[in-house]
Amino acid sequence: MGAFAEIMFGGLFQGSLYAMMAVGLALVWTTIGVFNFAHGVFMMLGAYVAWQFVSLGLPIAVALPVAVVVMAGVGWILQASVVRPLIGRPNIVLVVVITTLAAGSLIENGVLTLWGPRSKQLPSLLEGNTVIGGVGVSLHQIAIIIITPLILAALWAFLNHTRLGLALRAVAQNEDASQLVGLNVTALYGLAFAIAASLAGLAGIFMGGYRFMTPVMGSDPLLKALIVVVFGGISSISGPIFAAYLIGFFEAACSYYFGLYWTPALLFAVLILMLMVRPEGIFANQSRGLA
Amino acid sequence: MSVILTVEGLTAGYGRVTVLHDLSMEAGRFGNVGLFGPNGHGKSTLLRTVSGLLKAKSGSITFDGEDITRESPRAIVGRGLIHVPQGNRLFPDLSIADCMSLGAFSPRARPHEAENREKVVKIFPKLAERWRQRVRTLSGGERQMVSIATALMSHPRLLILDEPTLGLAPKIKDELCASVQEISKGGVPLIVVEQDIEFLLELCPQLYLVNHGTVETEIKPGQSIEHSEIMSMYFGH
Amino acid sequence: MTSLPSPVIGAPGRPSWKSEAVGVALAFLLMALLPLVFGDTYTRHILIMVFIYAIVASNWDLSLGYGGVFNFGHLALFSIGVYAYGLLTKAAGVDPWVSLVASGVIATVAAVLVTIPILRLKGIYIILVTFGFAQLVMQVILSQSDVTGGTQGMVRIPGLYLFDHNMIRDGKIGYFYIALALLFLSTVFLRVIVRSRTGASIVALRDNEEYAISRGISLARQRIITLAASAFFTGIAGAFYAAYQRNASIDVFGMSLATIILSMVLLGGTSTIYGAIVASFVLTIFSEAMADFGPWRPIITAVLIIVVMLAYPSGLSGMIRSIWNALAGRLKRPDAALAGKTEERTAA
Repeated sequence: MGAFAEIMFGGLFQGSLYAMMAVGLALVWTTIGVFNFAHGVFMMLGAYVAWQFVSLGLPIAVALPVAVVVMAGVGWILQASVVRPLIGRPNIVLVVVITTLAAGSLIENGVLTLWGPRSKQLPSLLEGNTVIGGVGVSLHQIAIIIITPLILAALWAFLNHTRLGLALRAVAQNEDASQLVGLNVTALYGLAFAIAASLAGLAGIFMGGYRFMTPVMGSDPLLKALIVVVFGGISSISGPIFAAYLIGFFEAACSYYFGLYWTPALLFAVLILMLMVRPEGIFANQSRGLA
Repeated sequence: MSVILTVEGLTAGYGRVTVLHDLSMEAGRFGNVGLFGPNGHGKSTLLRTVSGLLKAKSGSITFDGEDITRESPRAIVGRGLIHVPQGNRLFPDLSIADCMSLGAFSPRARPHEAENREKVVKIFPKLAERWRQRVRTLSGGERQMVSIATALMSHPRLLILDEPTLGLAPKIKDELCASVQEISKGGVPLIVVEQDIEFLLELCPQLYLVNHGTVETEIKPGQSIEHSEIMSMYFGH
Repeated sequence: MTSLPSPVIGAPGRPSWKSEAVGVALAFLLMALLPLVFGDTYTRHILIMVFIYAIVASNWDLSLGYGGVFNFGHLALFSIGVYAYGLLTKAAGVDPWVSLVASGVIATVAAVLVTIPILRLKGIYIILVTFGFAQLVMQVILSQSDVTGGTQGMVRIPGLYLFDHNMIRDGKIGYFYIALALLFLSTVFLRVIVRSRTGASIVALRDNEEYAISRGISLARQRIITLAASAFFTGIAGAFYAAYQRNASIDVFGMSLATIILSMVLLGGTSTIYGAIVASFVLTIFSEAMADFGPWRPIITAVLIIVVMLAYPSGLSGMIRSIWNALAGRLKRPDAALAGKTEERTAA
């Protein structure tokens, strides 16, 4: 019972964070066809921005939405400055890797200069602990486990049941045809980045509530998000969501049975094996599109 | 009828390659306009430049008396100049219903959404039966219908069709030709690129032969023209 | 260094074997004289680092630029060289020079192994898998902390030796010339490959995969050759780095080193080999020149990278070319005379 509860809880919790990160990466990839290596930095910046508002005296319940909105703006600006000018270039995938990496390094060092290297912590969403199935857990983590699926469901509903979401899905499938029905393609690119940055920022705020924040706190989650999208395929957003939870459970089970030490190595070994068998991901279909 | 589109001295191309050389034409004076000529000589490039997908290097494009040469595709769609590109690639993972909503995306088209949808259902009753089906699951002819229907949802004042019957089986092609005739009778002027000369002659009183990236011959209404003459223009010289 | 004169018959715009060889020899001779100018060990240390970066970056250009394979595990090959040398010399007691070459071989084998899963993949998926490969290597090294030192790294790794020459109190002159010699060998190796038939087929695969395959070029074979060739000197550079620093740390897997080296490849302009080498000089010296800026240094570097990439998609070489063209435009079109000369030669 203890093992089951521990794996379930650990899997759901890690899976939630991975899903929030991976969905943003996948959203940007499907709409624009580039990979954003500053995505981990978005996560970190979200936490720091929220921390700044909290230290100015705002309660976390206010600081959180404000920081998420600020992150949307940051995402938009990053897209407009280092991605949009490159659209149409033949080697865009590669060049965007380097420009987003450089932009990430810029933000990371900016944060270091502005807020200093000392570790910081955000208040929890909910204070207190409880025991479920013989495992002690914090209410903060339970809140994350519950909130994340709601946010992902909201994103899904936005993409599938609003006209703007429809426009985003359309751009992901055919840029020329989108222009010919009068869609503002550059604005939609900005929107995709803004949503991705908000989700990453939110994940950062969640993480900052139970772990110390550092300027490099986003690099490991970015890596995990990359693995998630390889597993889930980058051609949809539902694939990465399932993959995120799957990997969360895999990690939880691995660290329970083999120890924390071997978990990452096992994960990468499985990843490489899977790519040899199914390069387009477990849940992916053939086309590029949001669903 | 009055002139709705004027193209003057248009030069355009991709990167360093110039495809159109000093091309001039107009549309609307005599109703529908047909473009024909060998493949790879600039018909599609002309249409892409008119709809703003491609930037003109020089020359001007005037729609309804206003210069649209430097405008974005979105602004041009907003004016009611709607382009149905060649090939029916469209949005493979959207349903027909989604495509129709997208067609009505521009603020100009939105108030007319319900009325245009009725029109589409009347012209393409086949689509109404598969309203929720994804585009990728449709046949080639049906996909072409979705493309044209999406354009109709944009409330066009001028509709550009680039080879609407390309690669279709004869039966479905006849069906589509009839639909295009019906759209034309509904009062929307057309610019049509087509390899099927019979269809083009029937539909368009005014024709342009586009060759080597420019208008080689203009055929005005009243100028009686035989099928064989057109064929010799195509292959002759 | 790249401005080699007179194009040759049959290969328009490409310098002949002979003129390229003369150019390379002159450039390296010039570099060999640098210690005479810079007597201080600090400048020599910077130059040694430049040479190491240049080897890693120019070898990356082979897989990334020529091969079009987005190998983001290139730094892992370097790191494998670092740790292979450390383990061989320290744990197994193998001779440093033998270890140096063996590290290159081990990196090559690793490159072949990583090529297998990416044989069927394209574009972004190659980035993801090779990235994953790098992380896998790092995790394995971290988890074997008994021999690798884990996060602590390895210290007191044996250095290289040159006969009875004292490598420690020579003002770094020994390491300087070894690094330069390695860069020379690596550069010659790379240029020979890219100018060979193999190089042509690698480029053919990059530019038109279907056509190249239909003409009988094996994608699998060429991809393995490209990656393996790019790994050998990268591994040796890693081993040299370990020998020179006398330690190995997990930092070599970090994103910051990968970003800097990748910037060198892209800023230098891909598919030139020389571009990456020149960019290693420019970027390292630029970075050193800003040492006074402290925390602003990485920020300024990042801004510079972004600005150059946005303004000049083909990197510094594109920047130099456009500046050159702007200058040449004012000087009564001297390129017309050059074109005339080429025609003359072709006619003859």
